[in-house]
Amino acid sequence: MTRFTVNGRPADVDAPPDKPLLWVLREDLGLVGTKYGCGIAACGACTVLVDGQAVRSCVTPVSEVAGKRVSTIEGLAEEGPQAAVAQAVQRAWIEAQVPQCGYCQPGFITAATALLAQNRAPTEAEIEAALTNLCRCGTYPAMRVALRRAVELTQKGQG
Amino acid sequence: MARSLTRRLFLVGSALVGGALVVGGGLAWRRLDGAARHRPATGPGETALTPWFKLTPDNRLVVFVPRQDMGQGILSMLAQIVAEELDFDWARVTAEQAGIHPAYANTIVLADGSPPALRGMMENVAKLIGVQMTGGSTSVRDAWGAMRHAAAAARAVLVEAAAARWQLPASDLAIERGIVRHAASGRAAPLAEFATDAAARALPGSPTPKPPAAWRLLGTSPLRLDIPDKVRGVARFGIDVRPQDTTDTTGGLLYAAVRHIPLVRGELQDVRWPGGKPPPAVLHEVRGRDWLAVIAKSWWEAERALGQAELVAGGASATTVSSARLRAQYRAVLDGEDDPKKLPDLGRPIRRVFNAYGDPDRALAAAAEKARFSADYAVPFLAHVPMEPLNCTARIREGKVDVWVGNQAPTIVQWLAAGVCDVPAEAVTVHTPWLGGGFGRRFDLEVIRQALACAKVTDGRPVQLIWSRREDIQHDAYRPMVAARMTATFDAAGQIALWQHEMVGPSVSKSVMGRMNPMLAGDYPPDVTNAEGAMHLPYRFAHFRCRHAQVDLPVPTGYWRSVGNGYNAFFVETFIDELAQAMKRDPYLLRRELLAEAPRHRAVLEAAVSAARWNAPLPGMGWGRGLALAESFKSIVAMVVDVEVIDQKVHVRRVVSAVDCGRALDPGNVRAQIAGGAIMGLTAALKDAITLEEGRVVQSNLHDYPLMTLAECPHFETVIVNSGAALGGVGEIGVPPAAPALGNAIFAATGKRLREMPFRLT
Repeated sequence: MTRFTVNGRPADVDAPPDKPLLWVLREDLGLVGTKYGCGIAACGACTVLVDGQAVRSCVTPVSEVAGKRVSTIEGLAEEGPQAAVAQAVQRAWIEAQVPQCGYCQPGFITAATALLAQNRAPTEAEIEAALTNLCRCGTYPAMRVALRRAVELTQKGQG
Repeated sequence: MARSLTRRLFLVGSALVGGALVVGGGLAWRRLDGAARHRPATGPGETALTPWFKLTPDNRLVVFVPRQDMGQGILSMLAQIVAEELDFDWARVTAEQAGIHPAYANTIVLADGSPPALRGMMENVAKLIGVQMTGGSTSVRDAWGAMRHAAAAARAVLVEAAAARWQLPASDLAIERGIVRHAASGRAAPLAEFATDAAARALPGSPTPKPPAAWRLLGTSPLRLDIPDKVRGVARFGIDVRPQDTTDTTGGLLYAAVRHIPLVRGELQDVRWPGGKPPPAVLHEVRGRDWLAVIAKSWWEAERALGQAELVAGGASATTVSSARLRAQYRAVLDGEDDPKKLPDLGRPIRRVFNAYGDPDRALAAAAEKARFSADYAVPFLAHVPMEPLNCTARIREGKVDVWVGNQAPTIVQWLAAGVCDVPAEAVTVHTPWLGGGFGRRFDLEVIRQALACAKVTDGRPVQLIWSRREDIQHDAYRPMVAARMTATFDAAGQIALWQHEMVGPSVSKSVMGRMNPMLAGDYPPDVTNAEGAMHLPYRFAHFRCRHAQVDLPVPTGYWRSVGNGYNAFFVETFIDELAQAMKRDPYLLRRELLAEAPRHRAVLEAAVSAARWNAPLPGMGWGRGLALAESFKSIVAMVVDVEVIDQKVHVRRVVSAVDCGRALDPGNVRAQIAGGAIMGLTAALKDAITLEEGRVVQSNLHDYPLMTLAECPHFETVIVNSGAALGGVGEIGVPPAAPALGNAIFAATGKRLREMPFRLT
């Protein structure tokens, strides 16, 4: 039994300790917003926050998050110290109409939220270093617009 | 069942080999005859006036979209077309996936692939078999005929109904944001109030859609209907399907993981487990021709269990094929080799001339050695790699079959499931969730076959089968390896006399159809997709010939975003750059001169060059600027790429495009598709190849089949040229010019001519 919190709620999971957090979220907890893309931490579609840090849940054994706070796309803008930043990021993402197929977007939005929650004025280089997720549709140009807007909204304290 | 399935698939296949070449345009929605009387299911108080939408009592417009959205935005786009004709307020419009019905057939994708003489016949075939299909960048062009005219017809009867009730002339009524208004009296009522009356009236056979000058929604970019859910993470993809059914007493969803034999061709002969049996997590084993699936309560556990299985391959395995060997045989075919003994992996090539004019043989014979210029090009196999790995959820219970799958042809999915499960097509429900990318990959049916095979052994429990990324990369139906030899001759004045495009590659359509049904894998009609982007060029020469040598590969191939246009644009647009260099001409001016008879292409080229400031100095040493022009799917794109090469590493800095797709119905989405397509083309040019060694694919995941990242993504500018010409496609057209424009820019920067993808500078 592994105990942790997901989006502010306690979770008790009866899964093998080496089962990746990604599959615990999707199969045991029914939280399917976090996506499987590669299974080797290369694409970032599975990005979640663990105690506020962006981690790739496909290579994170569930035992590693025992006692920790996990935030997924379902709760990112609802609960936790990053919620206001996540609201700003999501608003900017909608304004810039970023998604195409949308599959990689929860991972990007989560990674962007983690960055902006820790650094309200990231440089272009800091953004590029933090957002190493992969998108096959090629939404990067719209994402750049959204990221600039999200920084603006975060600095103004608007979600 | 099997025979009729074969016949229907053959008709589809015969049409698909043509690709989507000819614009249909102007097809009245009445062409659907009886099918147009179909009405989707409605709730209390709701009225469906056509197959494509309904009005709700609270005056909302719900559009039923019979195409699949894989990121191209088609769900929202088709809703926008309907909302425009009905003058609906965008905030009151929603869209849903339509069910399967002949009314929703994509007649453009079938009819337009056919040779001109057969078009009329294929249109009738399309009506008869009624295939819903998303591909060939045809969805908007198809809807422009049927859906738009149906909406215009509905508008007409709604206004008539209002006029009758109010006893006013219809010509005095106007619709604004979903409200019917009579300006003089100030009377106003929501459209939905007249829906029941309107349903009793006959729809006009030749309705008049709104002229572009009257558009309010089309030509703008309202918030795509799919975007908020995708941003909030609540959009459900195939992999997220969790069939909920209160009557289900079977224990709920099971998961299946699948592994293919490591060889690209062969059969599964045996499975060896350590200790002679699978791990306890495995509930069932299911074996297919070249794959093993295991079913467990968790996909992760099923996948982990598969890691212990040894798959023994047998049968007619291609254990020795390699990319290097294929390349050598391709080269021999280009040199004229026809002997199948010398082409062990390819067999005897079928040589065809796809187009010719002038007198190419005489031009070749007349040209002295120094008046000839020839260059060989090649592209490798490419994987599609949609971000959502292939998956399918299936349930077989009480004679009913449910299939949840991201697909590009639900009608064919229904036929397949009916055949596999031996039930009538009506017993099969195909659910199409959002597609996490498609790019042509989700035409393939294998994952559906596998999921159905698994669902047969679980006593009515639904099974979700997911391919790991490794399976996806190693067992794709790849964009084919293709090699080309481009030849030009010069006349006495030093101008280009002959343009000859010769290439070697497989028929992708034959491979696709052969996998759908092995009975279709025999003789196959000429595959025009091989030569699209090569056989009809906007450039004019005195002599022209496009030749293709079709070979059979031991590797499955598939449609890959932009299909033949993707590699042919690389060959054509690189070669013309080489000719410009040989002729000491500016690559832009030479192209412009050759476009004397192609004013639309010329305008697009000029728009891109002007926006990119073609002649403006580059920022510094190591920079280069390149150009390419490509028509595909009836749209034209010109692209100017700026690169900086530092220590042999290519950095793409800027991509300036101009596009003429007739009219941009959603300019924001056109820009997104151009950038997305270009990024896919640049990624292929800079990074990727699927290579074969000893019958196996070398690459296995995104670490060795990498994708472009945000940091590597150039700055994009896209100019839209609204020529008003017939509509062209948008979803694939960004791909073709990207790689050649990049290669030409690298040449400008370094003097290195790159004739093979992926580009290697060292």
